Amino acid sequence: MAIARNIVNIAIAAAEKEGAKRITKVNVVAGELRGFIPAQLIFCFGLMAENTIASGAYLDLEITPVMGRCRKCEETFMVKDYRYVCPKCQGEDIQTVSGTELRVKDIEVE
Amino acid sequence: MKINVMTDILEANDRIAADNREVFDKHRNLVLNLMSSPGAGKTMLLEKAGEALKGKLRLGVIAGDIETARDSERLQKYKLPVVQLTTGSACHLDANMVASALPHLDLSKIDILVVENVGNLVCPAEFKVGEDYKVVMLSVTEGDEKPLKYPLIFRESALLLINKIDLLKYTNFNLKEAKANARRVNPDLDIIDISCTTGEGIPDWISWLNQRYQKKFGTKARA
Repeated sequence: MAIARNIVNIAIAAAEKEGAKRITKVNVVAGELRGFIPAQLIFCFGLMAENTIASGAYLDLEITPVMGRCRKCEETFMVKDYRYVCPKCQGEDIQTVSGTELRVKDIEVE
Repeated sequence: MKINVMTDILEANDRIAADNREVFDKHRNLVLNLMSSPGAGKTMLLEKAGEALKGKLRLGVIAGDIETARDSERLQKYKLPVVQLTTGSACHLDANMVASALPHLDLSKIDILVVENVGNLVCPAEFKVGEDYKVVMLSVTEGDEKPLKYPLIFRESALLLINKIDLLKYTNFNLKEAKANARRVNPDLDIIDISCTTGEGIPDWISWLNQRYQKKFGTKARA
């Protein structure tokens, strides 16, 4: 709920800065590790957007996969099922390079 | 028209968390963000810690609860400095709420400050409050698959406490499986089995606290 409110606030602030009257779409990037359930977030977003210039806007949620980088052999790979093991050298010292992001990418306005 | 935004959704919270952290560091507080499902045993863990740390490290608590002040009432019996935050409908504590509690605590008289989050495995993991470490607690009356269902909280935590270990024989909780699942999500996770009822594992949790305190401040805990 708080996340949805933040999304609406960020979108409105960006739209107002450009003098836009209405927000039609908000594109959000969320990492898989955030564990969001898209339907739930979209529902909360709809509630929070009511009676604002974002009312009725479409929320697009782009889920980015978890990517890891092996600290031993530098291989970058997609982490499936939270298996933090390097497919190349079997190293287990893995740095998460993506999958935790959470940001408003852009918005579409009228 | 398309407008580029690229704003981190939690940026405002993270900024306040960093301010809190500065205040904590100045007062030499080791700060833990303690999270679990409802009923896993967070409050009882703090009762036990308060007892075990008496005369050694001074414990303080910021307790988040949706409605009541029951947790803080329980802890006040142990003469611990406690501030209760009633979150209303919010299912987690955020940096701002924790900042609002700080004027009500004498931080210079606290060594370890535990922020007892609202019982929930999802949202609390998203919001930093200014902590040094996140600690997640799981009880054996829940499921051993929890780390895979709620990866972020296990990924972000430094320590997993598996509580109610005395009840293990009455459940189908697979301890080995739970640990394997947790380490799959976070290979660096420390794990301690405890029972707040029998006291098993509590000394290990206390020595974890001591180690982390010494790591942060480089001094021996006050004798």
